[in-house]
Amino acid sequence: MRFKVGLVLLLMILSTTISTANPGGKGDDIRSRDCAGSCHASSSSNGISDAELDIQYPEQVYAGLLMEIETWVNFVEVSSNNMVGLALLVNEEGAKDLPGVDGWEVVTDPNGGTNNYVEIVDSFSLQNEVRKTWTLRAPASPGTYELYLAVQHGTPNGGVAMTGISDAKQVVVSEVPENLPRLSPEWEPVNTRPIGEETEITLQLLNTDSALVELKGSNQGPIQVVDNKFTIPAAVNPGTVEWRVVMIGEGPTQQSPWFRITAQEPGWEVDEFALYLQGFALFILCIGLVVLQRPKGEEIESSKYDNTADVTSQFGRIQGSSPAMVDLPTTGPPIPEEGLPAGWTMEQWEYYGQEHLDGLAGGGQQ
Amino acid sequence: MISAGTFHVISTELTIGMFALAGVAFLLCAIQKGPISREPVAHWALLGGLIATPFAIISGVNAVPSEGIDNPILANKLLLSMTSAGLAVGILLRRKWGGEVDIRHSSIGMVSVGLMLITAGMGGEYSRSETLLLFIPKETVMLFPIWASIVLLILGIAIVGKSAVEHRS
Repeated sequence: MRFKVGLVLLLMILSTTISTANPGGKGDDIRSRDCAGSCHASSSSNGISDAELDIQYPEQVYAGLLMEIETWVNFVEVSSNNMVGLALLVNEEGAKDLPGVDGWEVVTDPNGGTNNYVEIVDSFSLQNEVRKTWTLRAPASPGTYELYLAVQHGTPNGGVAMTGISDAKQVVVSEVPENLPRLSPEWEPVNTRPIGEETEITLQLLNTDSALVELKGSNQGPIQVVDNKFTIPAAVNPGTVEWRVVMIGEGPTQQSPWFRITAQEPGWEVDEFALYLQGFALFILCIGLVVLQRPKGEEIESSKYDNTADVTSQFGRIQGSSPAMVDLPTTGPPIPEEGLPAGWTMEQWEYYGQEHLDGLAGGGQQ
Repeated sequence: MISAGTFHVISTELTIGMFALAGVAFLLCAIQKGPISREPVAHWALLGGLIATPFAIISGVNAVPSEGIDNPILANKLLLSMTSAGLAVGILLRRKWGGEVDIRHSSIGMVSVGLMLITAGMGGEYSRSETLLLFIPKETVMLFPIWASIVLLILGIAIVGKSAVEHRS
């Protein structure tokens, strides 16, 4: 019987398939470059991605100001879930490679978050180019910087984790001209808003005489910024609105990157005090209801420390009487004349003694 | 250091493993089969699971990306785990106070284990949108008004207090 069970277990183990990496993704996060889990497996379960990767910068990048870059992932076959993980990095060493190391800040990633690693589900194929935009804040110090685009994805047949990284893409970060109309470095965009409510956004503008806001895809004209404020109309359905601000001043007219603001359904809400109170009440009540159930408890409690049977058994033997079994006033079976089995207590004998005797009578062993 | 999410996995597996062991031992107690160690195993494993439970709850709260309880599954997890922990503590107290390990005692132990396993199943639904508990309405939260919770709390405290006094006398 044991052999058959072992054989079945062995067959089940051998029938498993080896899955590499994280087929369902790992979720957007701030991550260094890694091997998607494949480096712990054999070399046959990982490979180099054939994707063509690129990063497009704006013509001018100013220190400490917001900018928009576009990442391209071209001509690549991926797994059936069409998911590719994109990571924006500052070196290809796999350590100290987060954008923040060089002073970059991810203000809005392609999924609307602030992560350097995002998972994109799109129409990746050997014929398609997939472009995604990121809004970054440039490093505060002028100079020449490098960014890399790393990818990780599966394969159409599965079982192999593919990774790849672009060549270094250099960008020159310039000193900000004194009179350049711009958004204040302290200003942070709003990324989410509730459905059905107009959204008033307050800008912090520097060296700007007047400003307009453009909404991407809108038929209406630009929105005038008054007292550094403008209003985005209410959203009827969940979705994203992209907008940018055109700043006019003494210096050259500037356009901000496209900012994305996502309208979301209001989240589920609960009175947390009532919830915690109910949880605690249920905890106490359940304890009470269980300890209330002890109709036989008192009898057991008294017999737990009652060693009369033990003493009587020993006394009987000392007196030279040799009854085959001593009848004792306990709730369990009579104790054998050789006493309780080694390591047993009276309480255990009361519960399991009969079972033990039955086992001995049947020739079995307990 | 490890993240709250990783610590939650560790503490949850400890909790569930010990509760599952207690559940099997309580089942053997209920049908009165198996080794004689089934009783101590059931109660000690339940105690181990109970010790790990607060760590699982606290790390779980810290691992949630949003602030506060913004999902009905989380609310149900809280209520179920507190109910399960209450039953488990009651079982241990009852046994310590000399209660007999009969079919009713074992059944309550198994109910406690079952509730904790359902709680873990809901965690899978929350984090990975996958669970074997397909037919349990996980997004319906039965929340009492505050006055009802206070009444239940007073009732529970009264029962526990009365039992404790009876046990001492």
